Formats: sequence, C-alpha cells, structure tokens
Amino acid sequence: MLTVDAMKAFGADTETALTRCAGSEALYLRLVGKVPDSEDFDKLEAAVKAKDYDAAFNLAHGLKGILLNLSITPIADPVSEMTELLRSRKDMDYSPYIQKMQAERKKLTELCKS
Amino acid sequence: MQAAMQQTGPILYQDMKRAILVVDDEDINRELLGAILDSDGCYNVLYAADGIEAMALIKEHYQSISAVLLDLLMPNMDGFEVIQAIKVDENYRRIPIIVLTSERQAEVKSLEMGAADFIPKPYDVPAVILARVKRTIELSEDRTVIQAMERDSLTGLLAKEFFFEYSTVTKHFYKNKDMDAVVLNIDHFHLINEIYGRETGDQVLQTIAKTIYQFVRDNEGTAARGEGDTFLLYIKRQSDYEPLLNLISNDLADLSDQIHAHVRMGVYQKTSGDSDIAAIFDRANRACNTIRGNFQQSIAYYDQELQKDAIFAERLIHDIHDGIEEKQFKVYYQPKYDIQSEVPVLKSAEALVRWQHPEFGMIPPGSFISLFEENGLIQKVDHFVWRQVAEHMRDWKAKYSKVVPISVNMSRIDVFDPGLESKLMGLMTEFGLSPTDFHLEITESAYSENSDQIISLIAKLRSDGFIVEMDDFGAGYSSLNMLTSMPIDVLKMDMTFVRNMHKDEKQLKMIEMIMEIADFLSVPVVAEGVEDEEQYEFLKKVGCDLIQGYYFSKPVPEEEFEQLLREMNQ
Repeated sequence: MLTVDAMKAFGADTETALTRCAGSEALYLRLVGKVPDSEDFDKLEAAVKAKDYDAAFNLAHGLKGILLNLSITPIADPVSEMTELLRSRKDMDYSPYIQKMQAERKKLTELCKS
Repeated sequence: MQAAMQQTGPILYQDMKRAILVVDDEDINRELLGAILDSDGCYNVLYAADGIEAMALIKEHYQSISAVLLDLLMPNMDGFEVIQAIKVDENYRRIPIIVLTSERQAEVKSLEMGAADFIPKPYDVPAVILARVKRTIELSEDRTVIQAMERDSLTGLLAKEFFFEYSTVTKHFYKNKDMDAVVLNIDHFHLINEIYGRETGDQVLQTIAKTIYQFVRDNEGTAARGEGDTFLLYIKRQSDYEPLLNLISNDLADLSDQIHAHVRMGVYQKTSGDSDIAAIFDRANRACNTIRGNFQQSIAYYDQELQKDAIFAERLIHDIHDGIEEKQFKVYYQPKYDIQSEVPVLKSAEALVRWQHPEFGMIPPGSFISLFEENGLIQKVDHFVWRQVAEHMRDWKAKYSKVVPISVNMSRIDVFDPGLESKLMGLMTEFGLSPTDFHLEITESAYSENSDQIISLIAKLRSDGFIVEMDDFGAGYSSLNMLTSMPIDVLKMDMTFVRNMHKDEKQLKMIEMIMEIADFLSVPVVAEGVEDEEQYEFLKKVGCDLIQGYYFSKPVPEEEFEQLLREMNQ
C-alpha cells in the first residue's frame, strides 16, 4: 500500500503536497495513486515522436500542472523541462526527458502496487 | 476525463453556502481544488471538465453561482473563450472569474478580458486560495448591492447619494473645469399624479429623465433623481439652459398633448470655488425655489442677491442663541376686539415676536420665522415667547383684577413634540397661571399633515383647559369632514380673505362661507388683517366675532399693551 513515507523516499515534496491537500493524507494518496494510470504520459511520448509539438505542449503542460500540484518532483522535473522546450515548439530529440519521465512513472507504479 | 456534478438543483446559499464552479480538464486538479474549497465549509462546488460543460452549468445556475475558478488550457472550449462568453452575456456578466494558471502572459490577458483575479499553479497554500476566493466574492457581492442601489429604479438615473459621491470625485479630478449645478423640478407635480393617475406621473418623470440623461451625456455631466419630482444635474458650464427646457417640453408634448407640466430650473454656475457638493446643490435649489409657482419664469440663477440672503440667513442662525440669551427677542401684542357688542371691547391679544438685533436692528418675523421653521430652531423662539408671555401675565395679574387671555403660536415642530403638554403645564405652575389664560394658535396646515396625532394632542390640551385656535383657516386643505372631527375652540380666518375682500364678490362669498362653517361648528371667528372701516363693517355685518388688525391697533410693545389693560380696569 502506498504511504506518505514511501512517497517521501521516492523524492516527492510530501509536506507541500499535504498542505495543498488541506492536510488530508487519504486525499493525497488517492490522487497520487491516479497519476501512473494517466494516458497522457504515453500520448506525450507518441506526440513527441510524431513531432506533433502543439499536442505535445498541451499534454506536457497539463501533466506538469498535476505533478507540481502533487509535488511529485522526480516526474515533474523532466516534464517541466520538456514543457518549456515545447512552448517554443523546439524541434529536438526529447527522448532523454521521455525516458526519465517514463522510468520515474514506472517507479511510482511499483510503489502504488506494493 | 468526465467531470461529475456534485450538486443538482438550486445551488445558491444551500445550507447558507455559496456555489462555486471549478472548471479544469484535469480531474486531479479539480479534486484538489474541490478539497481545498470544501475544507472551508462555506461552498458548494460544481465541476466542469471543459468550457462547453462549464457554459452548460452556467446557463442552468447563473443566478446562484458566486464565482467561477477557471483553467485556461482545455480541450474543446478553452478558458479564454469561457471568459468571453461570460462577459458578453447580460445575465452572466456579474459572475466573477478567477483564472487558474501557471502562465504570466495568460494572467495579464485574462485580467484584461475581465477576470477578477488569478490563482497560480501549482496551487498556493489553501489559506491563500480561500482568502482570494472569499475576497473576490465579497467584492462582487458588494458591487452587485451597490449597482442595485446606485440607480433610481423608476428613471434609471443615479440615486442622489451616489450622485453626490460621483460629483465630488469628478470635482476633485477636474478642478479647473467650469461646472454648473442644476436643480430641476415640476410645479405642482402632485396634481399630475392626482388628475392623470400615478402611472402617467411616472411616465412624465421617465420622459424627463431620458431627456436629461441624453443631455448630460452630450455635456460631460452626470444626473440624478432627487426626491419626488426633483432632478439634479452636474454638467459642463452652459451659457444657456433654454435648449434643455425646450428638449424637455418637446418630449413631454410627444408623450401627451393633455399634460401641461411646468418645469423650473435653478442653476448655480461656476461651482469650481466651492468644495462641498451638497452646499453647491443647496444653492441651485434655493435659486429654483425663488420661481416656485411663477409660470412666467422657468430658469433662475443663483446670484449675488441670493448669496446675500443666504449669508444673512446663516448669520441669523448663528446669532439665535445669543438673541435668546440676551433677550434680543421682544414680544409684541396685537389686541383682538369683540365687535358684536355695542362698542368694540378688548377681548384678548396675540403674542407676536420681533428681533431687536444688535447689528441689523429690528428684524420683522417674516425674515426669520420660515427660516427657523425649516431647521427646527423656531422651537427655541416659541419657548422663549411662551415664557415671556407667562411672565408678563403673572405681572399683570398681580396688578389688575381683569386680564385678557393671550394667544401664542405653536409651530409644527412644537405640535409633534411629545413633551409639549408637560412643558405648557409646567409654565402654568411656575407662573401661577391657569390654562384658560393661554390660547394656542395652531396653523391649519399642521392639522392636515398628521390629523390623528393632532386630534389626540389637541383633545388632551383642551381637557387641560387650554383654548385652541385654528390659525390661517382657509389657506390649507382641511376637508369639511375633517373639521367636524377636529376639537377646536376658535377659527382664525386667513388674512388673505380680508385683504382681498375689496377685489371681488367671490372673496366676500368666501368669508360668508367661512362664517357659516364656524356657525355649524359653533365656534367664534377671528378675522386678522383688518385695516379699514369698510372691512370692519362687512365683518361685523356677517357676524364675525373678533377682529385683529391695524384698524384697531398694530402689534405693540408690552408697556403699551399694559396701558390698554390699565384702561380696561379703570
């Protein structure tokens, strides 16, 4: 079962996130539990590969919002960097960011299942 | 991601909670914000996942939604489109929008489009978000209340209080601009209401308001509706106000060719030297009052003459306290004679006040009575006179075996004073007098203002033994019906009947009618203002009981009146 301590160990800023969840651990953990299931990670990866940067920016921007609101820093970092690059529709190789994002997402999925 | 609606049906103030619509395409963000808002316990939260869902909810609940928290980047219909749709709609416009965004540029753009505030992403600590939401709703609700109150509901013009506020601000920012204050009203407007009905009266007011509104818009000004049929304009200096009058006349003629409303205007020009907006409009109003009932003149300007009058009035108001303390006010007595006996006999007298001002000399009552009636200071003068009269009567009674009763005037404000009866009885006790020594003159118009209260008061005073005279009878609007229920002892015919009796037959008939009314009520009649033999003979012939006027005697100082008492006792 996912715990606040596990999230902390994962690298999330749980203190800030809990404040934002009006102090409710249950709400925090429930919302965090929804994150790995989001289809937007895979959609972002596909959009970047297809060089559909408009769609990619919107997806990255949306994910960034959620990840920062829940202070899931390890995933938020690569997504935030990507968002800034995609804002100017920069044509480049995004795979390092995508790999980092998917790797951290996988870790979070494991944490949620454990 | 489908957003679920948490509430259905009427939302506003359900369990005293305000309704808030959260619009975000990310369900995690919606839920997070919902949890923050819930934690406050003051809100019912509605959710929408995009602009289209949001607009559907707004359409259904616009009357009850207190605020919209709006994400900008959304599929289908984005936040900017939602702001646009809300702001162009008459019904939705008042709903404040708080934008949820992480983009600086977007903040500026949304504020420019009419958003009330923004909440940055990632979200701030809940306390900050809640405070911003609360503040936004408060401001919006205050504004709604203000908007409801700032305008007169009938005419759509500003309400007077707001008009004064706006004009003060205008004045502050346009110090060098020459502005005019104009007061406009309609002569005998109540007659239009009475003759044509209230609905027509309202149409007249609306028509005038519409014309004025157009006029002030064209002349860099603002306008308000004051009390009843009064309008106030604060506009750029005009050389001539005839054009405005003509516009109003034409529009009223279009409304109906039956109604002839005489509009009059008081204008105070070049107001830039004055700071107090209420005082500026007082002046315009004073100018306007100078042509009340004068159908030849429609526009009056506040000029040096009026300014002199106003300064004089201010002086009198300032000096009244010393005047009373230093006994500058003098009581004069005008005798009343019984003319139905063989030879006229001194029967009583009316106490009248004069002001021996140290600087202005003798001031006649006409110069200060109506002024002091307006501001209630007349009560001080009345009380002074009553006390002086009581003092004189005590002295006369000590010297002479026969003394006549003296009548004193009661102003409207005295009549409504709940302590009146005890004040008068206190005077009687203090000076060893009987209430029958004091006649109380109450003007007819006071009777019609609040007849029930007056009737019970007069009944009480009469049961104490006071004699009550109805003053200026015939000048007011007493109905015959009211007269029969009115407990009075004497009718004093209004002076104008006697003064105009030479003019035509009708006036003589009026006097005869008054005599008949008095006969029907079984009360004696006093005629005032009798100046010559002819008037005297006629009044005697038609059965008038008592006469007061220059024909017998002008008002005289106490010593002279005492001389008459002395002669009567010899």
